[in-house]
Amino acid sequence: MSKSESVFSPFGIYEVKDTLCLSLPNTEIKIERMGDNAFSYFRKDSEGNIVEKMIPSKSNELELEMAPIKPLNHPAKRTENIFLKFDKEIYLSENSAASIFVHCPIEIGFFLIHDSKRDPLDWVTCNPINSRFGLYGTPDTGTLCKYAEVSLATDFDDSIPYVEGVMKIIIENTLNVGHTVSKVVFPIVNNSLYYEDSKTIIDGIKVIMKKRAMVSIADIKINSLETNWTKSPTWETSTTNTNMEMGID
Amino acid sequence: MPLEFLQSLSEMQIVGELTVLSLLVGGLIMAVGLVVAKIVKILFYKYYAPTLPKDTAQNLSKIIYFGIIIISFLAFTSSQGIDLSGLLVAGGIFAVVIGFATQSVVSNLISGVFLMLEKPAKHGDTIQIPDMNISGTLLDIGTFSSKIRKFDGTIIRIPNEKFFTTNIRSLTSSAVRRADVTVGISYKDDIEHAISVIKEEIQISMPFVLCVPEPEFRVEELGDSSVNIQVLVWHPRDDWSQAQPILLTTIKRALDKSGIEIPFPQRVIWGAKD
Repeated sequence: MSKSESVFSPFGIYEVKDTLCLSLPNTEIKIERMGDNAFSYFRKDSEGNIVEKMIPSKSNELELEMAPIKPLNHPAKRTENIFLKFDKEIYLSENSAASIFVHCPIEIGFFLIHDSKRDPLDWVTCNPINSRFGLYGTPDTGTLCKYAEVSLATDFDDSIPYVEGVMKIIIENTLNVGHTVSKVVFPIVNNSLYYEDSKTIIDGIKVIMKKRAMVSIADIKINSLETNWTKSPTWETSTTNTNMEMGID
Repeated sequence: MPLEFLQSLSEMQIVGELTVLSLLVGGLIMAVGLVVAKIVKILFYKYYAPTLPKDTAQNLSKIIYFGIIIISFLAFTSSQGIDLSGLLVAGGIFAVVIGFATQSVVSNLISGVFLMLEKPAKHGDTIQIPDMNISGTLLDIGTFSSKIRKFDGTIIRIPNEKFFTTNIRSLTSSAVRRADVTVGISYKDDIEHAISVIKEEIQISMPFVLCVPEPEFRVEELGDSSVNIQVLVWHPRDDWSQAQPILLTTIKRALDKSGIEIPFPQRVIWGAKD
């Protein structure tokens, strides 16, 4: 961790007895005791937005987990799909495969812990400028997605603290022609996130480019990670859909 | 004692064989029918409606509700020994008269049925009716009329006949919508530079504007006083208020920051010398 990163609070579980101050890039969080069983929550984010909440608590202490979450909430929750546009295109010749690491944007969630359950309290993004929407397809039939232009990462350790996690993408071209891949679009809602200190890794995906009848399609499935990093609580209610098909263009 | 009271009621004839007791029984059947219809409607809304599309749920609930009431009415008439065939004959005689009198009612009813079948818009859709200058959220396509909640919060009722025959513009049928404005810059300013600063400001300060398709810029006109540039941006369909109303403000801020002039109409007058 570099010197500048070390001034920020790492992901993890925090106990609040009287006051807790969490520092994130351009964001400050403060939790203070208001009375015997009540706490106040204050957040000022990078866009100058201020959020204040009161948290009644059953016990005299408050437990809070700060963890990376999927980048679906800023500026508003509108979709469960993400559109990752690679900064460099990847060429796959016929019947070949590639395994790449890419940076994937994240947001940061705050969860209240009680009875070993995590209740979503608040979320922030440390990189609001790059939290935007994009459309996959045409305006009349396309799919609205969260959009991010992402760069290739070297390995899982290449995560950009608080801003981008690392995801492994396996792309397999079973077609009998070469293809250039410049983007992937998939529902990220079922991919789990894992954290250690201030770094994040995300469940990978496997993209199989294949032919169905006369149409070339890309079948996308989740590749769950096996890691000893801490798994983030889920902000969204997960759905049963675990794969997606997209056209190749 | 109660039996004697009922006996006396059964002997009190109103018209023909119609007695006070039979009328009471009939009333009881209708009342029970109404209560059952209400209860079934409530249970339907509580347990089944949430799993169905809103418009289908509303139509089904109406069918169930009025179906039970019609069955109760038939039970009521048969309990009174009323022969409906006579009523049908009488109805036949008056059908033509009633037909003329209720022409618009029937027209609305049939239009309502066609609207339910065709479904030009769903409940909750944001629609616009350009011919009537109405925009708002479609609340209900009813038997005789449809209701729209306008953006000012008022509800407008439109007879189904008019609703069926008018043009309906759906604003929520696709995932995204486009907002556009036109802005003029002075002739002395560089067009490419102006476009670049506007694009940058939109990217920074309008989070609901889509990156793909990216904002589009068209030099629309070389006007009398300015070069007019049309700016077109896409946004999620429900976030019109985060795009169209603030687009001009954003553009003006970008141009002001860069010192690019938005000219007011001006005329150069040349004075001829003697």
